[in-house]
Amino acid sequence: MCERRILCSLVCGVIVLLFSVSTPAQTITINNNLLFGNIYPGIPKSVTKYTAGAASEFLVTGTAGNEISIDFTLPTYMNQGGFNMQMIFTENDCSFDTRATPSQSAPEYDNQDPWSTLYGRLGSAGLTIWLGGTIVPKLYQKSGAYSASIVLTVAYTGS
Amino acid sequence: MDIKQLSQIYRWSVIVTFLVLVVAAGSVRGQDVANGQATANVLAALSVTATQALQFGNVYQGVAKSQDETDDALSGIFDIVGAASAGISIYLTLPQYMALADGSDRMTIAFGTTDATVDTMNVTPSTVVATDGWVDTDPNNLPGVLVVGQAGQTNLYLGGKVIPAVDQAAGGYTGDIICNVAYNGT
Repeated sequence: MCERRILCSLVCGVIVLLFSVSTPAQTITINNNLLFGNIYPGIPKSVTKYTAGAASEFLVTGTAGNEISIDFTLPTYMNQGGFNMQMIFTENDCSFDTRATPSQSAPEYDNQDPWSTLYGRLGSAGLTIWLGGTIVPKLYQKSGAYSASIVLTVAYTGS
Repeated sequence: MDIKQLSQIYRWSVIVTFLVLVVAAGSVRGQDVANGQATANVLAALSVTATQALQFGNVYQGVAKSQDETDDALSGIFDIVGAASAGISIYLTLPQYMALADGSDRMTIAFGTTDATVDTMNVTPSTVVATDGWVDTDPNNLPGVLVVGQAGQTNLYLGGKVIPAVDQAAGGYTGDIICNVAYNGT
């Protein structure tokens, strides 16, 4: 009786271990940063989420079919040597696509709010996220290279 | 094996299994975080400086006098500095008269449709040519496609005309000429 219990315990442990190890974690790859290029003082500039090569693009990979939560931590300004420049992200500046061939120009899920937690199910090619935004330089904005961090956090929801 | 030995083996197997699971679970990340970047390069701010006033010198009562914008020493000159080749808009607020300092008399001033020149090559009023920018343009309606020169500067030259009355009071007359410049995003 005891030998059977020991055997069952070991077998269960190995099965659980194998299952745990065989479940791949979700991984984010940054395909593109949000690039505004040259900016004139006093002239706001927007980059839409549809603009390839300029919009921010993240690729999330993991177990196909699993749902993930998507959370952005967005900056409200860019900085250069202590000088700030306002940034704006609107409630429809984000989109994502879970299809095998994601389309940036016609995404599966368009006009998503990057300020809210988003949910998507990983496709066979993962899940691609795009983000646009706007910057508002002041009339006498100090010249130079400005930057800001855009933090993306994804996690399995378990469903 | 007796019952005691089997019980010990069972206990150890549970502990080992638990530890293995803990290690395995730790190797699987519950979430992933990526730190992307947003970048922008802000170009030089635009500035304008009035470097030379439009000067008519001595004027006789009842005799109109014109000053051409091609005169190096007497034309009005504005220097505009900014990002090279950037599109800009220039708007001049021109006076309709000049006045004595005490305001006791006024003298009409007029600007014709060819009294301004925009020089993107930063030469001089007397040497600027059509290929250097926009010559003989209307200061009240400057072209909408102006740019900062490739060296980061554009000059505006301005001429005009004063029309003193026959009973114009003698004295020094002045009037403000205001130049507004702004990037237009092109």
